[in-house]
Amino acid sequence: MSRHRLTVVLSQAQGKHPVKRALEESIVAALIMEPGLEVSVIPYLYDLGPDHTGRLFLESVRGDMVLVSWLFPRAAFWVLDRDGIKGSYGESQIKSAHADDDDEEGGEPEPPKGIGSLDVPDRHIYCLDLRDSNQHDPFVNEIRRIAEECKARHDAKHAHPAETAPALVSLGLNFANATAPVADAPGSPNGHPLSPFAPDQLLQSAGRRWYPVIDYSRCTNCMECIDFCLFGVYGVDDQERILVENQDNCKKGCPACSRVCPEQAIMFPDYKTPAIAGAPVGAIGNLKIDLTKLFGGAEKDALSQAVEERDRELVADGRVAVGVSVGIPKRQQNRDGKPKDDLDNLIDALDAMDI
Amino acid sequence: MADALTFMMGKFAAVLPADRRYARNHMWCLAAPPPHPQPLSPGGERGELFRFGFTTYAVRLMQDVYFLDWEVNAGDVVALKQKIGHIETSKAMSDLFAPIAGDLVRFNADLLNDPSAINVDMYGNGWLFEMAGSESETMSVQDYYNFLEAGWEKTQTMLKGHM
Repeated sequence: MSRHRLTVVLSQAQGKHPVKRALEESIVAALIMEPGLEVSVIPYLYDLGPDHTGRLFLESVRGDMVLVSWLFPRAAFWVLDRDGIKGSYGESQIKSAHADDDDEEGGEPEPPKGIGSLDVPDRHIYCLDLRDSNQHDPFVNEIRRIAEECKARHDAKHAHPAETAPALVSLGLNFANATAPVADAPGSPNGHPLSPFAPDQLLQSAGRRWYPVIDYSRCTNCMECIDFCLFGVYGVDDQERILVENQDNCKKGCPACSRVCPEQAIMFPDYKTPAIAGAPVGAIGNLKIDLTKLFGGAEKDALSQAVEERDRELVADGRVAVGVSVGIPKRQQNRDGKPKDDLDNLIDALDAMDI
Repeated sequence: MADALTFMMGKFAAVLPADRRYARNHMWCLAAPPPHPQPLSPGGERGELFRFGFTTYAVRLMQDVYFLDWEVNAGDVVALKQKIGHIETSKAMSDLFAPIAGDLVRFNADLLNDPSAINVDMYGNGWLFEMAGSESETMSVQDYYNFLEAGWEKTQTMLKGHM
């Protein structure tokens, strides 16, 4: 029976917050001796450029993986996807401290209508959010549970060898094998054949980055974002699927495209508003809703906010502000088939009155 | 006196007493009960003194208040919608804004130590502050009810994490 190992990668917080660092260290300390786990530490995932050793390491992992980070799970998962590190979304069972006690009405989740990711290998990626608890136990226990779950899934697959392709056998995470092609990549270490990723190289500091991350489970390829963004961040691939093509063209701090996305599929993981940073829809939990708008803060709708943000960046670039003249979403066009709202009903009633 | 109105937030009944007026930022507004502190602006009182607090609607959205902070001082003159403070609760955080223009005469000092009165007695001991000014910017209870009704769908959407 091939040994099944689970890769656990802890992505550190930006900066040197002592409380956060302490939590990170206590989790690693608790897991490092655990049999069946391969534990590594990398800097803040979102900041890792293509040449960073931490990123090369992530790319080298072939089997199931747990990523523990200070990002919303959805954000972390799609950052990985954007970096070509793909898998099926593993559900974490960690409930944040204030897990919603009152289930709001209308609970059944809608089926995903996004276009999904392509070329997803047969493995699971679990993303845990370090903000869900300030104790290490919940994370350690959840990782143990995930290890069991992955092992059971793995064993079930191998219990029916006839039904599965022989290639699946290599999913037992043959680490040396998996890293072989990467060892030649620029910037990767070459001194230690047995552990190609030395901890200090994994942890070399990464500069801050800022770019949108697309959640393809939500993205419908409607192209509103590419129309709206005037900085050439977005592009399409050879299958006409939207992608973040020039991520470093993106303007630091500007989340405008995320606001115009009709499916809330665009995340900026470092943005202050949880909904834009990739918070789970509906699950308020530990994170707080920002009621500022409701309590009389600038009552701007998302679109005018986005237009304002875009104009600010255009002007900062020495270009001309365009206001609402360019790339404004054509939101009315999808209204067919949606339930009528009160205004629709009112207008229908007026029509029916035959004045 | 007219009966209180009840706005249904899903299954939760938000009671809106009819003895007071309401501001768009989900605060109630009631003539401040005596004794009044001395007028603080040198020119004498600017208008009547009103007491403000959160409505049940606001409290239901925020739930348990953990922390309340004011960013202006008692006696300051504030503009309508000027940012005056910050609140953090079990479910939410928000900046707080002036419900009317005028003199912010005093804050409810008890809340700074223990803000839980906002939850248990939002229409009474959980009052937030008193302002001297005009209530012309506020709404009647019926208007506030209509205002809640008009915004309810949008509010739910926002709560569900959409922008």
